[in-house]
Amino acid sequence: MTVPAPLGPIEIEVIRNALNAAAAEMDVTVWRTSRSTIVRELLDYSTAVFDTDGWNLAQSARIPSHLNSMSHALRELLANYVPSGDWGEGDVVITNDPYCGGQHLPDILAFKAVFHDGHRIAFVGTLCHHIDVGGLVAGSYAAKATEIFQEGLRIPPLKIIAGGVRNDAVWAMIRQNIRKPDLLLGDLSSQLASLDVGAAAILRLAHRFGAEAMLEAGSRILAMSEAGMRAAISRMPDGTYAFEDFLDDDGIALGQPIRLHVAVTIRGDEASVDLSGCSPQAQGPTNATLASSNAAVMFALMCCADPSLHMSAGCYRPITVIAPEGLVVNARHPAPVAHRVAVSHRLLNAMMGALHQAVPQIIPAAYYGNSYVTTFQTVAETREVLVEIEIGGSGGHPRKDGVNAYASGMHNNSNIPIEMIEAQLPLTVLCYGLRDGSGGEGRFRGGLGLIREWRINSPRCFFTSNMDRFDHAPYGLAGGGPAAKGTLVLRRDGVESPIPPKTDNLPLQAGDVVRLETSGGGGFGPVSERTPEARTRDAAMGYL
Amino acid sequence: MEARPVRIAVDIGGTFTDLQILDARHGRMVAWKTPTTPADPSEGLMTGVREAAERFGFALPDVGMLLHGTTIATNAVLERKLARGVLLTTAGFEDVLEITRHFRRDVYGLAPDPPPCLIARDMRLGVVERLRANGSVETPLGDVSAVIARLKGLQPEAIAIGLLHAYANPAHELALRDAVLAALPDVPVSLSSEISPEIREYERLSTTVLNALLMPVVQRYLARLEARLGEGGFTPRIFLVQSNGGMCNLQRAAEQPARLLLSGPSGGALAAERLSRRLARPNLVAVDMGGTSFDVSVVQDHRIGLVTQGEVDRLPVRLPMVEMRTIGAGGGSIAAVDAAGRLTAGPRSAGARPGPVCYGRGGRLPTVTDANAVLGRFDPNFFLGGAMALELDAARAAMAEHVGTPLGLPVEEAAGGVMRVTNVNLASAVRLSLFEKGLDPRDFALLSFGGAGGLHATEVADELGITEVIFPREPGTLSAYGILFSDLVQDLARSRLLPAEPGALPEIEAALATMRAEAEVLLDGDGVPEDMRAIEVSADLRYHGQAFELLVPWPQAPDLATLLTRFHAEHRARFSYAAEDEKVEIVTLRMAAIGRLPKPAEAALPLPANRTAPGTRKVWQRGGATAWPVWRREALHGEDVIEGPAIVEEAFATHVISAGWRAGLDTEGAVIARKLP
Repeated sequence: MTVPAPLGPIEIEVIRNALNAAAAEMDVTVWRTSRSTIVRELLDYSTAVFDTDGWNLAQSARIPSHLNSMSHALRELLANYVPSGDWGEGDVVITNDPYCGGQHLPDILAFKAVFHDGHRIAFVGTLCHHIDVGGLVAGSYAAKATEIFQEGLRIPPLKIIAGGVRNDAVWAMIRQNIRKPDLLLGDLSSQLASLDVGAAAILRLAHRFGAEAMLEAGSRILAMSEAGMRAAISRMPDGTYAFEDFLDDDGIALGQPIRLHVAVTIRGDEASVDLSGCSPQAQGPTNATLASSNAAVMFALMCCADPSLHMSAGCYRPITVIAPEGLVVNARHPAPVAHRVAVSHRLLNAMMGALHQAVPQIIPAAYYGNSYVTTFQTVAETREVLVEIEIGGSGGHPRKDGVNAYASGMHNNSNIPIEMIEAQLPLTVLCYGLRDGSGGEGRFRGGLGLIREWRINSPRCFFTSNMDRFDHAPYGLAGGGPAAKGTLVLRRDGVESPIPPKTDNLPLQAGDVVRLETSGGGGFGPVSERTPEARTRDAAMGYL
Repeated sequence: MEARPVRIAVDIGGTFTDLQILDARHGRMVAWKTPTTPADPSEGLMTGVREAAERFGFALPDVGMLLHGTTIATNAVLERKLARGVLLTTAGFEDVLEITRHFRRDVYGLAPDPPPCLIARDMRLGVVERLRANGSVETPLGDVSAVIARLKGLQPEAIAIGLLHAYANPAHELALRDAVLAALPDVPVSLSSEISPEIREYERLSTTVLNALLMPVVQRYLARLEARLGEGGFTPRIFLVQSNGGMCNLQRAAEQPARLLLSGPSGGALAAERLSRRLARPNLVAVDMGGTSFDVSVVQDHRIGLVTQGEVDRLPVRLPMVEMRTIGAGGGSIAAVDAAGRLTAGPRSAGARPGPVCYGRGGRLPTVTDANAVLGRFDPNFFLGGAMALELDAARAAMAEHVGTPLGLPVEEAAGGVMRVTNVNLASAVRLSLFEKGLDPRDFALLSFGGAGGLHATEVADELGITEVIFPREPGTLSAYGILFSDLVQDLARSRLLPAEPGALPEIEAALATMRAEAEVLLDGDGVPEDMRAIEVSADLRYHGQAFELLVPWPQAPDLATLLTRFHAEHRARFSYAAEDEKVEIVTLRMAAIGRLPKPAEAALPLPANRTAPGTRKVWQRGGATAWPVWRREALHGEDVIEGPAIVEEAFATHVISAGWRAGLDTEGAVIARKLP
């Protein structure tokens, strides 16, 4: 039964909540049916509902680098690859191509159009980080890649399902080109299943409210988000705010810093963000495409809005991003892009530094700004692999200290219990603690980074890492001091030597100890203004 | 076990202390409610018992058993009324408690607060020692005199000891406890190897620390409770409700108070399980809606599910507990219109104090309860059985000011909107609870209880495509009803990462034998006769490489083949696939030592001899007010047919039967509503 209810504020809210619930149901479906650990345990996936033009109305995601990137990808597909009229009922389009709206090859995007009475009324989509898509190294994160062709299989936008029928030729072609076909195709199947769940939820709503009402609700939801975002931007004084921060290097041209420069111009209720001052694209995989850079810019500005802001594509409308092609933030084909997250971390740091000049009362100093990825491949009777992502401290805030060891910025993940590691691999964790003195000084101190030490117990082990902030410390603001830089050290027979932070397959032996010290967050305000009570507490806690 | 005829279950909530009393002499079961006395909840408990004895005609010495659900531990954590504690842990890992597991919840927040950490860095002391994952010693526990001296200097009120891999070998923790007790004989000590002997250091430490800091608090309460024994010949055996839905004795509760932390909602889940059998409905989704929260639990094939971990105020508690999804939506949820013009209901709550505007206790912001009041769903003179006069005008004014005017809507439409937004949120929570297990709402009946559940149930069912809603009798004290029929259950656990292969059998069998012996000792301690004992074995399993486990019942232990078959089947049901060629690992072995309490028969409910016609009341619904029939629940007759829209009213709850639904009285006293085709 179709109830042609007039769309008052209550119907809008009911539909808005139901769209959120649809994204959540899709999310649960991926979680429930996916095969690989990376999807289910790192929760490295997102689901979303879009209007007919590809603007996202609702999303379910926990990882900021995914948030606000899917709408960009879908609109890119509609504009350049699969035009609106080519989507039929029961079609599903997938791609992982960073040069067609994606971010890096392990992320496969899947979209489905939802039809009601023969009319398209919405799209649903999922993005999953897959465990391996082929290329130079397992996991498809080759630190030394210099072309995207080395990074794995590229899937151009294509209909993996057309009219409800799966394209088995493409399926077989994917299977042949990747290391863990059962896991990837299992996870891809769960992505496809979640699209059906999302479509069914949208149809329930359309059945109840009518297709016209759904479309109307979609545009009202976008308008509501847009108004919220415009209100947030209006609170910022007009002007142009520039800031820059640096990545240490791309892992190929060692010691050659990469500049992330932003100029944020606020005029009334609109913001334009010019990234023209960023370095040219790098030779190594420390590059990003526009989907990724846009996500970092949007995330920064959306953090400045009211907590009640409904996160939808309406938030993007008052924001313009200027990013000429060929820069590290908008790499030109065939640049490698596997480590695009490094670029987004630093771009976010730069954005926050600029926004501090506009709204100094809400922006904290820099967080550690990097994903400390370490991989140990131990070789004894069996080969075992441990991948860990560690974190650092958050920045001092205008009203309070930063938080010690706080997952911040563009990533959001869990650590791995020491007892689980030791029960499964020939490794011993010798210590895991806060790193005293690693937070930037200030009226409000930066949060502390971490120390973690691993001892190798197997005869052989290969160590791979990809880290940054070893040359360029997280900045302080308003007179606050910078945080400590990271260090990575090998201890062998009592002798310490530095390990390059971007390292591929360093051979280690039994008894070797790897020690990682991560950055804290920058400090906020002059340290001379730190209260005696705070100093006493720092001393009592041994945080200095 | 107990010869005296009267058994009392008591569930102490924020506002009311609920009692259910069963007298085995005639099988009569009655409910009673009395205000909670937050300063000392045992005072309200005794008041309730005395009032009930007077009203229902039993003598205090006739009470043989008092089954006690309590939120005292939970509240102590939420309000941080905890002991001053010290943590002793492996040197080099003193900060694990503060580092937590990293994942942040507020993705967009710019001003994060640190995750809660109950023992600050200056109260966490490192001890030089180290065990390996298999329990062997890498670094022996040396001279601890310096640590003990520092410990004494900190003047702790409670001490938690949690060493790495202590789940595999408690020797170092035990030795450390001896040293601590020699120096500080009167301070309670909690060992991680006793409280939560499971792999994963942060979760085990968190649980142990909670336990340690709760010990003095809970022990003080239990002492006050015990001091009341003897008043008027009231000397029942007392048992407390744990998070796992089972009871434990006072000594266990005093030593392991962390087991009480999430006991609050488990009574409702127990009731759902019992009603599922009595009503012959194997699949129920139970929704308990009170003033501040909406708890969803799922009964599948007559059983509620258990999970191995929960949390309180973002602090993990690694102990078995009833599986439940809770959202912050209740009668006290505050309705508001935000800056962007969005209507929201919750998560802010007016709580018990000041409560909804219509309660007239100082509440100024309109709530979901006020929306119900504005719509005319309550009889202002029969609220809480007439104990509270409702201030309808104040509710209307608040609803108009905070919702109607900002949205440009008449006050009734605003209230109707609050209801619709609330119902969608409730339905989403139910749908997700089923969905994450691969279940379809249409295969379930909705069991509605709690003070506010009945006002929303048929509308929520409509949202979900559920066609049957059950309103059990005494919905306001149903948790106490569940407690009344529960058993003694003590959980044991042993973590050791082992391949689920025949080679590991000797170690598995040895572990099970030790646990079985411990279980028997616990059952002996409670004086459980042989024929009332049961021991249930289960295991946490996973495929090699996974980072989480599935809890799989293992009645045929130690037969590995049956365990693996069940695991693959469970994995397929829950995650849509099974990998039968992959290696399976056992992470934790679990045992529940169950002492069955006798279940006295409930006598059939006396029904009124004659039918009474319903009254009517003007109730507002989209577009206008109409006269709805209003039925009094206690006057319902077996032949009455309630056509929706209608209201069924009782002292502590009001139920709405929506248009398109028809309801009647079941033999168990439940009102059952069915969607008309």
